[in-house]
Amino acid sequence: MIHLLRAEWRKVITVKLGWGMLLGAMALAALGVVAQIASNGVRGNIALPLSAAATQRSIAASAGSAYLFSVVVGIILVTTEFRHFTSRPTFLIEPRRGLVIVAKLIVAALVGVIYGVACAALTAAIMAPWFAAMGVTIGWVENGVLLSMLGDIVVIAIFAVVGIGVGVLVRNQIAAVIAALVYLFVLEPLIDIIPVIQNVYQYLPGAAAAAITGASRGDLAHLDPVQGGLVLLGWGLLFAVCGWVLTIRRDVP
Amino acid sequence: MATRLTKMFGEVKAVDGLSFSVEPGSVTGFLGPNGAGKTTTLRMILGLATPTSGTGTISGVTYAHLPAPGRTVGAVLEATSFHPGRSARNHLRVFCAAAGLPDKRADEVLEWVGLTQAARYAVRGFSLGMRQRLGLATALLGNPRVLLLDEPANGLDPEGIAWLRGLLRHFAEVDGRTVLISSHVLSEVEQTVDRVVIIARGRLIYEGGLSDLEGASAGVVVRTPTPDALITAVGPLNAHVTPRPDGTLAIVGATPSDVGRAAWQAHVELHELRAGSSSLEETFLRLTAEPNAQPGPSP
Repeated sequence: MIHLLRAEWRKVITVKLGWGMLLGAMALAALGVVAQIASNGVRGNIALPLSAAATQRSIAASAGSAYLFSVVVGIILVTTEFRHFTSRPTFLIEPRRGLVIVAKLIVAALVGVIYGVACAALTAAIMAPWFAAMGVTIGWVENGVLLSMLGDIVVIAIFAVVGIGVGVLVRNQIAAVIAALVYLFVLEPLIDIIPVIQNVYQYLPGAAAAAITGASRGDLAHLDPVQGGLVLLGWGLLFAVCGWVLTIRRDVP
Repeated sequence: MATRLTKMFGEVKAVDGLSFSVEPGSVTGFLGPNGAGKTTTLRMILGLATPTSGTGTISGVTYAHLPAPGRTVGAVLEATSFHPGRSARNHLRVFCAAAGLPDKRADEVLEWVGLTQAARYAVRGFSLGMRQRLGLATALLGNPRVLLLDEPANGLDPEGIAWLRGLLRHFAEVDGRTVLISSHVLSEVEQTVDRVVIIARGRLIYEGGLSDLEGASAGVVVRTPTPDALITAVGPLNAHVTPRPDGTLAIVGATPSDVGRAAWQAHVELHELRAGSSSLEETFLRLTAEPNAQPGPSP
């Protein structure tokens, strides 16, 4: 297993994609943070002032949106093997395909944690001097800001695992990425506004992620952060198990 | 190695009850026209594709049950299994890690295949010949006893083919390894292989020594002003008659004296009668030809 983990880790660090996506994730996180701070107090913005605990948490939680990048990285870590046929030497050296997938899940989680830490650290690095310049105190602990940032890391890491599951299930790289983004951007928000199934919404991946970071909207039913984490991890493992069963049955391209 | 292997793709039988074996210490050519089922057969033996029925084994066990597959079997299936953005050395190091081999093994195999100069470059810029060499390097990482190479000569220049021939001969003769190479062109591997396994349409056509194949190929060449009469005359011999481009007829499955006697008895005028020296390539083409195929362009 340790051999496979080393091999999978090398696959990540020896191509540019992982580094590029990390920069993308950090840019997206920074954008959310800067936009929220800069727009605060502007006429028409209904957000509470920067000193409010809810606002501080919301700003910290916005870095979690970088999960868009980690889910794509997770998908690409798997589908690139099928696209470039490196799946062949991979499964020739380790014919127990389940082990390869487990190694990928672990490495993806590690990559996700790195992405998450980078995004959370960047958020803190933007918030701290900006708030200080405006003379607003950040309640790191008492306002739950640090907890929201921890939530960001967890969300970003788990979404990388979800990405592996999706990639194993849908081996076509472009189809898998588009399916994931369409779901997260279009389908889930639609489910959110249909009244009859609204209470299902809280158990969906995007809503579970919002529950973890504390970014959930107050007017909708939502889980607490720990429940949200378990639900999200459940989704990732569900995809991975489905994909694993199929991987064992399907021929390697 | 293969026992009654069958693979269906939907309704199509890509491989149809194929059985053959490959000996250690020799280079075996796995031959057949495009689409004969060569790659599918290799993929089943390597555990990448699941047979519809039958089994493929290496040293008596299926691929998945080999104790250390990466160190027992080396295989190349087409020269395309690389991430274009990864350098040759990093590609090999990934699989060194997976197989539990030291990293310096990557540099050793790069030197063997003559890619040391290109080690740091991304595979994106590699020619087909260089990719073949890198594929071979990947297969050699674990110093395997068994080598399965799918069309390894594709894209190699004549110098590269000569190099590959020397390498494979060395593996079989000196190291006593088992080498199987597939090809759709017999002449490409003629000088490299000891034995051949020929398949067409998923079925075994011929398995045996290359020299026996040569013996089987000798036929009779005749020239006559009345070919139709001759074809009728040799009908009872149950031989295989094909017109040749130079106007003569090639008859396989009969001796020159059989043909001469049949012609004399039927009063058919002969202008030429000799033992054929049909090349291996001709034999190969004849063995693998579509049944009822007509010469000339297809509609």
